[in-house]
Amino acid sequence: MKHMIEVRDLSFSYREYSGSQRLRPLLSALDLTVKEGERMLILGPPDSGKSTLSRILCALVPRHAEGELSGVIRIAGEDLVATEPWELTRAISLVTQNPQEQLMMTTCADEIAFPLESLGTDRDTIIRRVDRALETWGLTELAEVNPQELSGGERKRLLLAVTDAIDAPVWIMDEPFDDLDELWRARLMDHLTNAARTVLVFASRYLDEFRGSFDAYGRIHDRRISFGAEERIVIDFERESEQLFTAFEEPGNIDAQRRLAARDLTIIHARRSASSAQPFRLRVEDFHIDSGEVVALVGPNGAGKSTLSRVLCGLDPCEEGSLTVDGERVNQKQLQVRVGYLFQNPDYGIFLPSVREEIGWSLRRRKDLSPQERERMIIDCAALFHLDPDENPTMMSYGGRKHLQAAVYHVLDRPFVIIDELDSGVTYAAAFEIVALLRSRGAAVVVITHDRTFAKNLAERQYRIIDGRVVETEVGS
Amino acid sequence: MTSGTFIAGRGMLYLFDARAKLLTVLALCVMVFLPLRPLGLWVLVAATVLGAWHATGLRQALQPLRAILFLLVIMILFTPLTYRDGSAVLRVGSFVLATREALENLNVLVARFMGITYLCTLFIWTTPMADINLAFRWYGLSYKAALVFTLAFRFIPSIAESFVMIQDSHALRTSEQQEISRGTVHLTDIVPTVTSALVVALKSIPYLAMSLEHRGLGRRERRTSYRRLVARGGLFTHFLLSVMIPTVFFLVFNTI
Repeated sequence: MKHMIEVRDLSFSYREYSGSQRLRPLLSALDLTVKEGERMLILGPPDSGKSTLSRILCALVPRHAEGELSGVIRIAGEDLVATEPWELTRAISLVTQNPQEQLMMTTCADEIAFPLESLGTDRDTIIRRVDRALETWGLTELAEVNPQELSGGERKRLLLAVTDAIDAPVWIMDEPFDDLDELWRARLMDHLTNAARTVLVFASRYLDEFRGSFDAYGRIHDRRISFGAEERIVIDFERESEQLFTAFEEPGNIDAQRRLAARDLTIIHARRSASSAQPFRLRVEDFHIDSGEVVALVGPNGAGKSTLSRVLCGLDPCEEGSLTVDGERVNQKQLQVRVGYLFQNPDYGIFLPSVREEIGWSLRRRKDLSPQERERMIIDCAALFHLDPDENPTMMSYGGRKHLQAAVYHVLDRPFVIIDELDSGVTYAAAFEIVALLRSRGAAVVVITHDRTFAKNLAERQYRIIDGRVVETEVGS
Repeated sequence: MTSGTFIAGRGMLYLFDARAKLLTVLALCVMVFLPLRPLGLWVLVAATVLGAWHATGLRQALQPLRAILFLLVIMILFTPLTYRDGSAVLRVGSFVLATREALENLNVLVARFMGITYLCTLFIWTTPMADINLAFRWYGLSYKAALVFTLAFRFIPSIAESFVMIQDSHALRTSEQQEISRGTVHLTDIVPTVTSALVVALKSIPYLAMSLEHRGLGRRERRTSYRRLVARGGLFTHFLLSVMIPTVFFLVFNTI
């Protein structure tokens, strides 16, 4: 059978951001062969080089990221060294972990049409393929909406729709299941199973949907990929992940019982780029979280989980209803200093040039701390979250940036923390550890997730958004 | 990475063909600098503000004004001081704060600034970016040139959005013990917030380049187009309107 992806002795090192001549090795003497029509899953913890490898295979790195690459890479028999990225558009499609990095047009339909226009596809075919891709991925009603106004899961579906429309023989997908709800995860798995395509999926968690669905399994460790039977690979990967992080622990004694409650809230959220007779409306009759609790907030893509979170942490107003902390009504400003919010996309909350400055930003107005105490807190907090204080967040992996986001709120010691899609881009062990650290001092944690297993193992209570209403349901249901 | 400027709304402006609309906007922008009576300039400003109000609602229509308010205040404070000739209207002791001529000049400057701001804003609010791109190409611009131009219109608003996101993120990081008045936070945080927004914008450039190249920008094939510009009622009618509007306006309000 023909080899669609063939990698021999690949090594890659990033150049250090400081501009020095130092190199940071990421992949070393890596071999990978994916046969035509084969579906392969590669597991690897954050920072193991999955995203970089996926970009190398599309000729985007080191072209757009400074580094040194060596080895042989062939896509459908063609040597990649002499290939420009645009020459691969027809041959290979990439879905990146963070959809924001790939979306560039102002409507969903234009996003799907762009590569087809580049390929010189005739207009009738473009229209047909755009319509079909929109329908397949449940985006027909969002065709004229700006992708920036979509939820995380809808954006991921849009990238999958683009891949579908191009219909390249090789699909490379970096954490494609992240951000998708259960329905769309199942549909994606079906799609991958039934498509006569060569599929290479990178993931940092082994999901239930993966069981028995791939032809080959591998894991990245020690800068290279090892292959084996599914069970062996999964056991080794999970053992390695657990070694990296501490076990989930119950919090100690909680000094003060605090409660965040929302009653009879109505939240209205209209899209700017497309008219709608019915703007998005969310109704919350009774929602509360208490100190030390972990509560799951679940619901399909676009249900309004992030919208509700933004109201709960005081970033957006609600139309009507009341929000209280410890029984007292609070305004948006008061909520902002009591409720922490880890955005679904960590880049929305991380902007400074080093981990030290990022964590230190939260302490800058604490006049009760001496510079030495402040530095001590930063160093301790960084160590707790496995972060190097001098590292540049830009150069950290997606999962690493999520750790940094959590570290920022840990140092603030917020009584309530909302974590939006924590489980995307990090291992289960890492996600459990982040939650444990955040509630170690008694914080109540709301975890937004699409992963039933994750919710079941972590949460004590659960709220679900059903048809625009937030209702309490059984955990993991 | 990029953002849109189009705002869904109502009214004739959404039906106006992008090619004719572009011509009208350019003609009106030029006209703003021609010798018009101040009343004419203010009528134009009022028309564009009312147009924005009708198309997108009052709250949205006031946004451009809020965006340029700081510059307007600077203009109002300092422009009279730079025109020293004419009859004094305001003075402190022997120091003339403003002359009649300076105030007349200020009146025209403010109207021109607001007029241009609202004209361009209305254009990008009521025209989908894909149509703007096609309009540029219809006027002879190459695809890449049109793309660069429209990408700028998508990239700059995304910097503004990043700025808001960073503000949100910073707002959530104020210490609970030290709730600070909103004004104080804004003043002390403005420099790092602007710096961060620019860093975010710079960081996104390689990703934008990767995405464009991965999606085939640079290929040799002749590029096709998913969208088409359709002028309801005929393109000639739209262009006739685009010529008539500035011409009639100029004839009514010119001072020549």
